[in-house]
Amino acid sequence: MNLRKYITLTRAGMMESLHFRTSAFVTILGNMIYLVIIYYLWKAIYASTGTGIVNGMTFEATMIYLVLATALFYFMEMYLVWNMGRDIQSGGIVLKLIRPMSFKKYMFFSCSGSFVMSFFMTFVPTALIVYFVTNGAIYLGSNLLFFIISVIFGLLINFYVDFFVGTICLYTESVWGINIMKEVVVLLLSGASIPLAFFPESLRNVVMVLPFQAIYNTPLNLLIRHNLNNFDRITMIGIQLFWVVILSIITSLFWKKAVRQITVNGG
Amino acid sequence: MEKIITLNDVTKEFKVLNRKEGLRGSIKDLFSRDYNIVRAVCNISMEVSRGEIVGYLGPNGAGKSTTIKMMTGVLEPTSGEILVNGMVPYIKRTQNAQNIGVVFGQRSQLWWALPVIESFNILKDIYQVSDRNYSDMMELYTSLVDIEDILHKPVRQLSLGQRTLSDILAAFLHNPSTVFLDEPTIGLDVSMKGKIRKLVKALNKEKNTTVILTTHDMGDVDALCRRIVIIDKGSLLYDNDIENLKGFFGSYRTVKVRLGREAEELTKENLKRLANELQQKLLDTHPEVNSLTAISNESWIDVLVHEDEIDIMKVVNSIQEHYKIYDLKLEEISTESVIRKIYEGEMQ
Ligand SMILES: Nc1ncnc2c1ncn2[C@@H]1O[C@H](COP(=O)(O)OP(=O)(O)O)[C@@H](O)[C@H]1O
Ligand SMILES: [Mg+2]
Repeated sequence: MNLRKYITLTRAGMMESLHFRTSAFVTILGNMIYLVIIYYLWKAIYASTGTGIVNGMTFEATMIYLVLATALFYFMEMYLVWNMGRDIQSGGIVLKLIRPMSFKKYMFFSCSGSFVMSFFMTFVPTALIVYFVTNGAIYLGSNLLFFIISVIFGLLINFYVDFFVGTICLYTESVWGINIMKEVVVLLLSGASIPLAFFPESLRNVVMVLPFQAIYNTPLNLLIRHNLNNFDRITMIGIQLFWVVILSIITSLFWKKAVRQITVNGG
Repeated sequence: MEKIITLNDVTKEFKVLNRKEGLRGSIKDLFSRDYNIVRAVCNISMEVSRGEIVGYLGPNGAGKSTTIKMMTGVLEPTSGEILVNGMVPYIKRTQNAQNIGVVFGQRSQLWWALPVIESFNILKDIYQVSDRNYSDMMELYTSLVDIEDILHKPVRQLSLGQRTLSDILAAFLHNPSTVFLDEPTIGLDVSMKGKIRKLVKALNKEKNTTVILTTHDMGDVDALCRRIVIIDKGSLLYDNDIENLKGFFGSYRTVKVRLGREAEELTKENLKRLANELQQKLLDTHPEVNSLTAISNESWIDVLVHEDEIDIMKVVNSIQEHYKIYDLKLEEISTESVIRKIYEGEMQ
């Protein structure tokens, strides 16, 4: 595989996201408002229980987890379902299908530029702030390496989930409802909005065998949990890898079948 | 000669849901199996040789874009075979993509927020064009059109004409064997149309690129195409040299007139009205004539006369009885009128 052919799309994406600086500011602002809301929400939850520890997590640990989860969310969100749906409805998808590479690779690398940008522009600053504010609740060691690998796998899993849902749009030609449904399912079952420790036992057992938790829960735990040994860590990454392989195959097969019935509107 | 494109008995059908009206209808649609079959392309066969420029013509909805989408491998034919560069485009889509360039007049394939030159750089990498071939191509471009001041502007700041020009350059950049231009001159002014025609012609000549061109502008056809293929309602009507076609209509001639000094200043609508009025008056004075038409064309009115029906001088005299003729030309039948006659079904 000639890497340059793909990396050039990453570069293009980085340049493009630099052109949309205002949207980055709006995102960061929305992010802050969201964080203030969850701060008071969880403060109320903790106050109502009267104890300092709920489901094995202190208030501080919960907040750190949620702040980083939010930062990770803004970094991973690529509006792929939305973009694919719009391309399918408008017929603009034709311009991506005339490229000499698979549609999936084209979409992945086109999105990848904004990953790189927002990783450095939103995730890293947030993590640094958390590090300094909490006086080293994120410790610096081999966990960082595991975290980086895990984020990349999480990113791929998130991409495949979005791509799968985007492919459904080839059949339905409607995007809005499907996209909302996906967002709710992923945000809830991945541990992005509520730490999995707060889930009832039975639900948590189900969630752990689904791919979604590998998007947010796994990398965040690898970053902030102190009590993991290397065996745990490698197992967690192994599970992610399993999902990457499985979802990669499923999305390719599904796309191959779906694209046969593409109609391409307009023109 | 080397065949680049072969279509053999190609048909494409779309399944379209019969939509009902209103909210209740929309909800019912969710469960509806009430489909209509639309036949967009119907048993088309043709062959195109390397280096040809083929005008692929037909009224709106004839099936031109659908045919192009099949040749680019985006759509799968319902039946029949297509070969482009010896490959079945639908099956080898990505390989086929390496050897073709495409321009859809209403859509841009360039990166919206980036300067044009960046889009070219990205395309260079995507199509794996060598540095040498790339700089040769850029040199050729610079010698053909004035692109210096376009290259460094973001695509979203370009005028429609500049954008189309850039899109055409982008489509030829990796030196494909075939370029598909689907209505590239739509909405452009006369001078930009001229530039684009000159450019396409030169690139075709220089690189021996095969060009399939769809357009509604017969000026494009006259400037570029020796051969035209006409389809209507999905079926092939005509496939031959343009000269050959005019031969069928040899006894037709066009009288071009300009009525009154102020013709230049007349609005399009007024000129159109004047043309209609003229046609009506001529048909009234010569009841034996059936096929005479008058249409406005830039600042002129084109009166198409069938010489077997009436002598051309008689027509000119009649015009003069009603209007003051400021300027007058006699021409062979224009491509425009020939195509119009074919659409109207006068060629069996
Ligand atoms: N995606 C589609 N779904 C359903 N019908 C379509 C679709 N695309 C084109 N058609 C129909 O096929 C016919 C040919 O369309 P098209 O190839 O776009 O025509 P042209 O490009 O010659 O104007 C039209 O009747 C059009 O309504
Ligand atoms: Mg069309």
